[in-house]
Amino acid sequence: MKFISIAIKDFKELIRDQRGLFMILGFPLFFMLVFGFAFGGMGQENEPHLLAVVNYDQGTNFPLTNEEINFGNNFTEVLQDSKYEDSDVNLFNVTVTTESEADRLIKSREVDAAIIIPEDFSQSMVQLINSNLNQQNILATPEGTIPTSNNTTSVIIKGDTSFSNFGVSQAILVGTLQQFQDQTVSTISETISPSTAPSAEFITTSIESVPGTESFSMFDFLAPGMMVFAILLLATTVAAALSREVETGTLARLKMSRMRSFDLLFGGLIPWSLVAAAQILILLAVAILMSFKWQGGLNSLILAIFIAVIGGIASVALGMIIAAFAKNDRQAANLGTLVTVPVSFLSGAFFALPPVVIGDFMGKPVQIYDLLPWTHTLNALRAVLTFGEGLNEIMYSLGWMIVLTLILFVIGVGIFSRTRLRAEN
Amino acid sequence: MEEYVIEAQNLSKDYSGFKAVDGLNLKIKKGEVFGFLGPNGAGKTTSISMMVGLLRPSQGKVLINGENVEKVDKIVIGICPQELVLWENLTCMESLKLMGDMYEVPGEVLKKRAEKLLQDLFLMDKADTVASKLSGGMKRRLNLALALIHAPNIVVLDEPSEGLDPQSRRVLWNFIKSLRDNEGKTVILTTHLMDEADRLSDRIAIMDHGKLLLLDNPTNLKKEIGEGDVVEMKLNDPEKNNQIIKYLENMHLIESAHVIDNHINIRALNAVGLLPQIMRYLEDNNISIADLSIRQNTLEDVFIELTGTGLRE
Ligand SMILES: Nc1ncnc2c1ncn2[C@@H]1O[C@H](COP(=O)(O)OP(=O)(O)OP(=O)(O)O)[C@@H](O)[C@H]1O
Ligand SMILES: [Mg+2]
Repeated sequence: MKFISIAIKDFKELIRDQRGLFMILGFPLFFMLVFGFAFGGMGQENEPHLLAVVNYDQGTNFPLTNEEINFGNNFTEVLQDSKYEDSDVNLFNVTVTTESEADRLIKSREVDAAIIIPEDFSQSMVQLINSNLNQQNILATPEGTIPTSNNTTSVIIKGDTSFSNFGVSQAILVGTLQQFQDQTVSTISETISPSTAPSAEFITTSIESVPGTESFSMFDFLAPGMMVFAILLLATTVAAALSREVETGTLARLKMSRMRSFDLLFGGLIPWSLVAAAQILILLAVAILMSFKWQGGLNSLILAIFIAVIGGIASVALGMIIAAFAKNDRQAANLGTLVTVPVSFLSGAFFALPPVVIGDFMGKPVQIYDLLPWTHTLNALRAVLTFGEGLNEIMYSLGWMIVLTLILFVIGVGIFSRTRLRAEN
Repeated sequence: MEEYVIEAQNLSKDYSGFKAVDGLNLKIKKGEVFGFLGPNGAGKTTSISMMVGLLRPSQGKVLINGENVEKVDKIVIGICPQELVLWENLTCMESLKLMGDMYEVPGEVLKKRAEKLLQDLFLMDKADTVASKLSGGMKRRLNLALALIHAPNIVVLDEPSEGLDPQSRRVLWNFIKSLRDNEGKTVILTTHLMDEADRLSDRIAIMDHGKLLLLDNPTNLKKEIGEGDVVEMKLNDPEKNNQIIKYLENMHLIESAHVIDNHINIRALNAVGLLPQIMRYLEDNNISIADLSIRQNTLEDVFIELTGTGLRE
């Protein structure tokens, strides 16, 4: 198997080039440290997030008791009353207002975020309760839109995505809403019994604190972004390694042999994927030391590695494309930086970007950034590490990521083979 | 009928208007050592790159065993590039194994062959040293070994003796001879050392400015320019060189007279016999000689005759 020989060779070169290896692992680590200090909220006081609430909820009839109920109002109260964990500081400073006013407040940064509760929120909650009674699980996604039921509109979280406070508020809102739904459903489920129909009063049970929020900081939101940045930087290293092979002529040597492009490029994937996996582990360890609230345990670790490996493959593919255009390894490094840094921004690695919806897919809006595999790498990593979600919840992101990575890889192999693995002109 | 392993037909390479190789036609016989001789920039490397299929010709084509080079299974060719092409962080043994694997050489054979190559090229005690830690000459030898690990029938060596000490050079020469004599390989080598081409090659192609100037065996090449001697003379006053040349050119029986490296190079069938006459002329004109030597015709002289200059370094 020639690709295995190539993999072993690449691996040896990688390990023996200690300075290079140090750069690959050290550079993102440095970023993680800086971001950890800057946004880790170490020694920072918890402060309420400024929130505008727009409540369109029309209320509904609660079927078990036939009482009129408005979950939107309840949720607003919950938001007003929620506290940081182990603290009596409120999570939110709530302004109930209209949508246009909310937009104005967002623009003037008088609020960090706005949450818009749809007309049929109560109906959805009722459906959620019903379906839950039928043993179904519906979970929130971390993207900011919560499918409250199979076929309804969603709660919308709005904000100025270039405003750093928004990221944190959004994350906490998602958590709070999730908590609200779970708590409501479980309260009703627990108290329900054939003889005593529960009163709607149960539903007003407030959530006093949201677990994890006591230390939920901007950093928890950003740390997965750093991991994606690290994975993306791999493209630069891969491009430099491939260009070096071209420049020193070793590629010509290989070209003269029976090696096929597949052997070279597939063989190269193996060590680089390992690097991506190692990066995730190291960065996660550093992030945790820097106060990152890691959710999800061992399972999430395995998922994170898997996500990183796929993201790493996408980066290798990008590296091949860069190497096809670079004449030597310095050019590759420069060109690589020129490409990977903007792509990191576009993938949302540093902060969330303003939405640019270009279509719909499986009931979800597709953003232009969704065409980059690393956007999904980030979503999946954030879901798994920051929000502690499992495989099922990241299937959507994983699916996108795998398909996009495959496409990118085919393009990468095509371009690289065409420019570098044929007789020179 | 002779068997040709490589045939170049009207081979040309243009680099944006500049012709690096210009209409090269030649056939290389099976089992011969074929030398490309030419000064820097003559187009030797460009020619052989096209001949092994690494570089696409602008015009013309290359046939290997009668088949277009693009379609040939590259296992028949082994090329030792002019520059060092090594994996800095792999050891000699690892590099050889890697290339062997890439040529699908079976494990056992590969191990034996790698060991033999390292032995023959005196690299055995460096087998586990990474390439970046080898001396320049050792790197050269590893560079060569990498071209041979798949036992190709056609061995292409681009200035293989560059950077080797005299001892290593002798090792290399013997090695090349044994490739031909004991293993029946066809060897193509480029060099700008006349001596090397003369000693090793069965046939020599002399190139300059991308063109083939002459192709023959060393003996014939020397004969073509005429048997005879070469007188090399250095004057105390180099300003007088041109005056002497003018005189010599008009002299009977002199085949050629050139200034090379401040020496006056005179070729004649019987240069010794002409010396007294030349000396008399020098004396009459009060020109003194710093250095004088007489020697046999060499390939260098052939080259000078063809190109009008010595080897450009
Ligand atoms: N990629 C290239 N682009 C442009 N010109 C080139 C390129 N490669 C070679 N040349 C030119 O082609 C000519 C022949 O080069 P080549 O390398 O074949 O010479 P050579 O005979 O091998 O010389 P040397 O003895 O120095 O190795 C040179 O003038 C060189 O500058
Ligand atoms: Mg050359």
